Amino acid sequence: MDTSDKEPEVVAKDTSNANAGIIPAPDFLDLQDIPATSESILQTQTDRKARKSLSPFQESMLRFRRDTRAMISVGALIFLVLLASGGPPIYKHIGGTYQSDFGTPIGPAIYHSYDYQQLSSQNQGPSAQYWLGTDNLGRDLLARLMQGLLISIIVALLVEIVDVVVGVLVGVLAGYYGGWTDTILARFTDLIFAFPGLLFAILLTGIFGQSASDYFGSLPVVGPFLANGNGPLVIVSLALALVSWPLMARYVRGQTLQLKQQQFIEAARSAGTSDVRIILRHIIPNIFSIVFIASTLNIAGTIIGESGLSLLGLGVRPPGSSLGLMIADGADTLEIHPWNVLLPTIVLTIIVLAISFIGDGLRDAFDPHTKD
Amino acid sequence: MMQFLIKRLIGLLFIVLGVTFITFMLGYFAPSDPIKEMMGEHFDYQTWQQLRHVYGFDLPWYQQYFNFLTRLARFDLGTSFHPQQRAVWDIIKDGVPISVELAFWGTIVTLLLGVPVGIWSALKANTWVDTLNMSAALTLYALPVFILAVFVQILILWLNNAGISWPVIGWGTPWQYSWSDIQYKLAPILTYGAAGYAYYARLTRTTLLEVLRQDYIRTARAKGLRERVVIYRHALRNAIIPLITVIGLLLGLLVTGSFFIETIFGIPGVARITVNSVFERNYPVIQATTILIAIGVVLGNLIADVLYLLVDPRIKTE
Repeated sequence: MDTSDKEPEVVAKDTSNANAGIIPAPDFLDLQDIPATSESILQTQTDRKARKSLSPFQESMLRFRRDTRAMISVGALIFLVLLASGGPPIYKHIGGTYQSDFGTPIGPAIYHSYDYQQLSSQNQGPSAQYWLGTDNLGRDLLARLMQGLLISIIVALLVEIVDVVVGVLVGVLAGYYGGWTDTILARFTDLIFAFPGLLFAILLTGIFGQSASDYFGSLPVVGPFLANGNGPLVIVSLALALVSWPLMARYVRGQTLQLKQQQFIEAARSAGTSDVRIILRHIIPNIFSIVFIASTLNIAGTIIGESGLSLLGLGVRPPGSSLGLMIADGADTLEIHPWNVLLPTIVLTIIVLAISFIGDGLRDAFDPHTKD
Repeated sequence: MMQFLIKRLIGLLFIVLGVTFITFMLGYFAPSDPIKEMMGEHFDYQTWQQLRHVYGFDLPWYQQYFNFLTRLARFDLGTSFHPQQRAVWDIIKDGVPISVELAFWGTIVTLLLGVPVGIWSALKANTWVDTLNMSAALTLYALPVFILAVFVQILILWLNNAGISWPVIGWGTPWQYSWSDIQYKLAPILTYGAAGYAYYARLTRTTLLEVLRQDYIRTARAKGLRERVVIYRHALRNAIIPLITVIGLLLGLLVTGSFFIETIFGIPGVARITVNSVFERNYPVIQATTILIAIGVVLGNLIADVLYLLVDPRIKTE
C-alpha cells in the first residue's frame, strides 16, 4: 500500500524539477509511466504548435538532441573518432630526437609509431617522449591505442555496411514477397540463434585466420595495411557480418510485414505502382528508423566482438594493435603494471557505453509511444 | 502439447544437423593439412597417405560427413590430432563438469539476483533506488564481459595489496564448496552472471510496470486486496511469461561469456579447451566442443519452450 501512496508524490516532484531546468534522472523505460501533470501537458501542446511544420524525422532528432546523456556520448564518440583518424599523423610529428637502443638518433616518426619497440624503456610512465607511457615491449601506448581505435572503427564500419545492405535487402524481400525467401531466412536465423555468434566467429577465425594473414598481406593495394598482423581482420569482419545480418533482416521483415498491410501501400498498388518502386519509395524510407537504431546498437556489438576475438588471440596479431590485443598483452603483468591493461579497458568502456547510450537515446527519440 | 513438443524436437534436430554440417565443412575446407603438421620433420609420402586413410581423409566429402554423423550418433566424438590418437572425449571430459557448473551458477545469479532486483526497482519506480539499480544494470549490460573481468581482477589485486589474500585465477575442485573453492569461484561466477543479471533486472522492471498498469490490477486493488497479494499473485505471475521467452538470449550470453571468463580467469572448462584447440588446429576437438555447446543451447531452448507451455496455458499448440 505504502508504495502506491508515495509514488505520485515523487513523480510530481520529478516533473517539477524538469520544468525548473534541472536534468531529470535518466529513464530506461518510455516516459509513459510518468503521469503528465497539467503543466507538462500545456507545455507539450505549445511545443506541438511551435513545430507543426517539422517532419517526423526532424521531430525525432529534436527529441534526441534534448537527451543530455546521448549528446555527451555523441561528443565522446566524435572525439574518439577524430583521435583515431587524425591522431597518428599529428602525433608522429611531435617530439624531439632521442637515442634508440642502438645509439642512433630517432625522430618521432619512428618512436611514435605503434609497432616500434624500444626494449630499454619498458613499462614506463607518461613522459615527454611517450605521452601515455610504454607497454611491456617498450611500445608507445598512445600510438597503439590510436591504432587500436582505428581498427575498431574500420571493422565496425565494414561490418555495418554488410549488415545494413544484406539485412535490409533480405528482410524487405522476405517481408514483402514471403514464400521461399521468408522460409530460408527463418531457418537461417534459427540456426544463427542456436549457434552463438561468437562461437562461429571463433571457429572461422581460428581455422582461416593464419592463412588469411599470409594471403591478404601479399595483395597489391590493401596489402600494406593488412600485412602487420591485420590479415585476420578480414575473416573477423566476415564472421561478425555473417552472424549480425540475420537479426537486422528479422527486424526489417517484421516492419515490412506491418507496412504491407497499411492503406498507403494498398493505394500505391491499386494505382499501378510497380513492386520495385513501392519497396524503394514507400517501404525503405519507413523502415529507416528501425535500421538506424538496430545498426547503432550493432556497432557496439561489433566493436566488442572484434576486441574480444583479438583478446583471445584470434583477431589482430602482433605487431598490429587492437584494444583487445592491448588488454591481452598487458594481462601477464597485470599485478605490476595495471596501467597497460587499464588504459585500453577504459577507452573500450567509453566507446561501448557511448554507443549504447546513443542507441538508447535514438530508440527513445524515434519511438512513437514517447511522442505524447 | 505433445504434438507441439514433437514439432519442436524435429525442428531442433534440424538445427543440430545444420550445426554439425557447418562445423564439418569448416574443418573440411581448413587450409592447413593437420596430418602434414602432425608429422612435421618426419614427413614421408607413404606414411602421410596411410594416416590420411586412417583418419578417413581420402574419402569424398559426403562420405566423410556421413561417417562423421554415424560416429556422432554412437556418441563417438572421434580421435584428436594433438596428442595423437587420444579420444576426443578424453580431452573434453574434465572440462564439461566445470563449464556446466559455471553455467549453472551463472543462471542462478541471473535469476535469483536479477528478478528480485527488477521487482524492487519496479515497486520503487522513479525513485533513487530505481535510478541507481537501473544505471548499474545498464552499465553492466552494455559492458563486454571481458572488461568486467579485467576490472574485477584489478580490484582483487588491489585488495590483495591492502592485506587480504584472494586467488586471482584458477577454479578449485568442480562441484566442491569448501572455503578455498568458494574463494576461487566467487569472482568468476559473479562476473559471469553480471550481464544476464543486468538484462533480467531491466526486463523484469519493464514487464512488471507494464502489468501494473493493466485494468485487472486496478480491479484487484479496488477489491481491497493487500498490496502484497496484488503484486505477487496478480502482477508477478503475468510478468514472468516474457522472462521465459528470453531464456534463449540468456543462453547466448552464457556461451559468449564462458569463452572470456574461462580464458581470463584461467578456468579449464570446455570453452578454454576450444580456444586452445583452435590454436593447435585440433579440428576434431573443435568440432566436438562446438556441437556440444550447440546441443546445450538447443536443449536450453527446448526447456524454455516447455516452461512456456506450463506457465501460459493459452498457448496450447500453435
